[in-house]
Amino acid sequence: MSDRRQDYLRSQKALGRHVLGVFPALYPRELAWAMNSLPVEIWDPPLAGAQAHGHLQPYICSVVRLGLELILSGQAELCDAFLFPHTCDSIQNLASVVHDYIGQERPCYFLYHPKAPVGPSARAYYLEQLKRLAGQMGDGLEPLTDERLARAVAQGQEIARLTAELYAARAEGGLATGAGEFYRVLRRGEWLWPEDHAAELGALLAAGRHAATRPRKNPGPRIILSGIVPNPPEVLTLLDELGAAVAHDDLLGCGRRLLFTPSQASDPWVALTEQYLSLPPCSTRGDSIVARRDRILELASASGAKGVIFLLVKFCEPELFDAPILAEELKTEGLAVLPLEVELNQGLSGQTATRVEAFLEMLG
Amino acid sequence: MSLIGEVKFEFMRDLGAPALMRLGKAGKKRARRPADPHFGPPLKCAARLKQIMTRHYFLARYAPGARPVAWVTSGAPVELLRVLGYYTIYPENHGALCGAARMGSRLCEEAEKKGFSQDLCSYARIDLGHFFSGQTPAGRLPKPDLLFASNNICQTVLYWYKALAHYLKVPFILFDTPYNYGSINEADIDYMVAQAKEMIPTLEKVARREFNEDRFKEVLDLAKETSLTWGRVLATMKQKPAPMTIFDAFIHLAPVVSLRGLPVALAYYQLMLEELEQRVERGVGAVVNERKRLMWDNIAIWFKVREFAKIFAAHGMNFVAATYTNAWAETIHYLDSADTWRSLAKAYSLVILNNNLNHRLGLMENMIKDYAVDGLVVHSARSCKPYSVGQYDMRRILMERLNVPSVVIEADITDSRHYSEEQARTRLEAFFEALED
Ligand code: SF4
Repeated sequence: MSDRRQDYLRSQKALGRHVLGVFPALYPRELAWAMNSLPVEIWDPPLAGAQAHGHLQPYICSVVRLGLELILSGQAELCDAFLFPHTCDSIQNLASVVHDYIGQERPCYFLYHPKAPVGPSARAYYLEQLKRLAGQMGDGLEPLTDERLARAVAQGQEIARLTAELYAARAEGGLATGAGEFYRVLRRGEWLWPEDHAAELGALLAAGRHAATRPRKNPGPRIILSGIVPNPPEVLTLLDELGAAVAHDDLLGCGRRLLFTPSQASDPWVALTEQYLSLPPCSTRGDSIVARRDRILELASASGAKGVIFLLVKFCEPELFDAPILAEELKTEGLAVLPLEVELNQGLSGQTATRVEAFLEMLG
Repeated sequence: MSLIGEVKFEFMRDLGAPALMRLGKAGKKRARRPADPHFGPPLKCAARLKQIMTRHYFLARYAPGARPVAWVTSGAPVELLRVLGYYTIYPENHGALCGAARMGSRLCEEAEKKGFSQDLCSYARIDLGHFFSGQTPAGRLPKPDLLFASNNICQTVLYWYKALAHYLKVPFILFDTPYNYGSINEADIDYMVAQAKEMIPTLEKVARREFNEDRFKEVLDLAKETSLTWGRVLATMKQKPAPMTIFDAFIHLAPVVSLRGLPVALAYYQLMLEELEQRVERGVGAVVNERKRLMWDNIAIWFKVREFAKIFAAHGMNFVAATYTNAWAETIHYLDSADTWRSLAKAYSLVILNNNLNHRLGLMENMIKDYAVDGLVVHSARSCKPYSVGQYDMRRILMERLNVPSVVIEADITDSRHYSEEQARTRLEAFFEALED
């Protein structure tokens, strides 16, 4: 299988699949799969933001900037359509800019998901939104049937099961895989067809478990990563080099959206709704900070992590509002905390690297 | 609510506040500014506005114990709270007040000391800064019993109020309004109606009162009439010369935002409208020699309102329209006491910031035509992503379609650290030249 995303997408299109460019963060991948459409997520494409500058103010985050750049620079040409979940104000407006202002002709789909504090009405509404989205996407894609959707839900649950196993093995120290490799494989799920990704996750699990049977010299401190995505990638390289183990994460692009509880419901629409509602607490849904704190504390106590590194994307409102309170609360509970302000794909400054080193040393 | 609290509140309302107003009036006489030759006579109703708002903030101090107190976002359906007798405080209005009093940056810094990033909305930072430091130009804000927000203006308020709820340990209610990407449908309305009904038991519990549907209808009628009257006030600026400026409207907006659903707000706009109509009749303009008519996009730069008003007036330019001030006139008219819950959902979910950018573009095109606008000033407000993302394209498209010259001022609503005098001056000079071409 090609390691290059563009080649892979071409091969998928050759199989008759549509490619759906998806902006962050929470959306039902299963719906796209069931319509023979491959969702390709646009979180942090490795681009400079040259053209986007003409459309976005300097105070807009790099997720939005790079995503728009991808479209403006013609590098999203393989996408047949775009999906914008309602994640934050910036992505909300970006959706409208792409749909209404920049003159690109491909269809744009939108998904509004209810925000917390979630009451009983939210459940019915989310289910309704899924059906509405399916209706929007219906044109030009393979017709959606309950059987196809049920199959896709099962595929999603298989991926979730493998992902949960990987996370659990890592948390228990039974997975000798560096953070760089772990997130490289995990994040390939942002653009691989589910069977292909399931195979890679299975292989990663087997290799990591096997390697864990060999004794490790001086295991370094165990930490939790929080933030949007594990970017800049140099953070992971540095952690690996310094022998630190990422024991778990509270990353929006990773643990916060991949670790749902598989639903037993026979109706696939109900299953997707229950799975959405079972996701770990998240700033973008407006969940309470206490719920998020409690989850991180639980993860730390189960995995032996002693510190949390926050990768805070500059200008990201949902994260930047939660972070100070969360950090304070975690410190009160005895966890060490390191907030790092990052710009995606901008590497690590020497100063930041030194702060990470000092933090790990302190953890011992 | 306690008996002592109630007695104290009523005493202050009936005696304390009027006495304060008299004192304020006496003080006012001593401090008259020399008249600026570029402006027409000032609005007489401004004195009444000052009384109303001063009284509101003054009485707020005595509300705890006498009234349930809620902190509310500017776009939340406050009518639900009015039915239950809540005393409402609008942190955004307070933020604007702090900005105008040039206290914005100082309060923002108080929040930043606690780890809140300088990149967050400055209304939120001011509010949190006020919470941490107790500083405010408004005397003292009462601690709320409830936080009530709607994300129809931004998601920021959700994160901000969540943080407040964490510190204040009071219930937080969100009225979640699905963003209107293309059209709001029945499922969206059903969801909002269901939510509004779900929140009533908590609102009742905090207020220790029962929700009354008849009273709800009355409040809706009052809010609707207030908003319609505010719309008429703004519409007077279609006249040439316009009897007021948008800088006046920024200030006179306070009652429709923060006292909507109360008789005092309606009475105020009736008074204001009467005065404006008289000015129109007599041909009295807000700006002497109104040569060019402008539109403002986004919230005001609160710490620069007076200065901007002067600069533009000196060039014979008057702002006659703004998307911001129009927001409280645009959709509240959907309120309908014959269809209370659904009309409430519609009125609050279709507001400008909860609507797609095509809608905003159409609205601006209409306003440019209706108000005979010659140029557009775009305030790119670092604080406000929902208002600002898309402005660059909007400006380009308006130029293409209507040939309206425009300028972008990179600034902030209240945090003066994000304003460059030099950059603003250079851009404005170029804009003035373009307008004269
Ligand atoms: S200024 Fe903008 S971001 Fe801040 S509260 Fe108002 S609408 Fe929300």
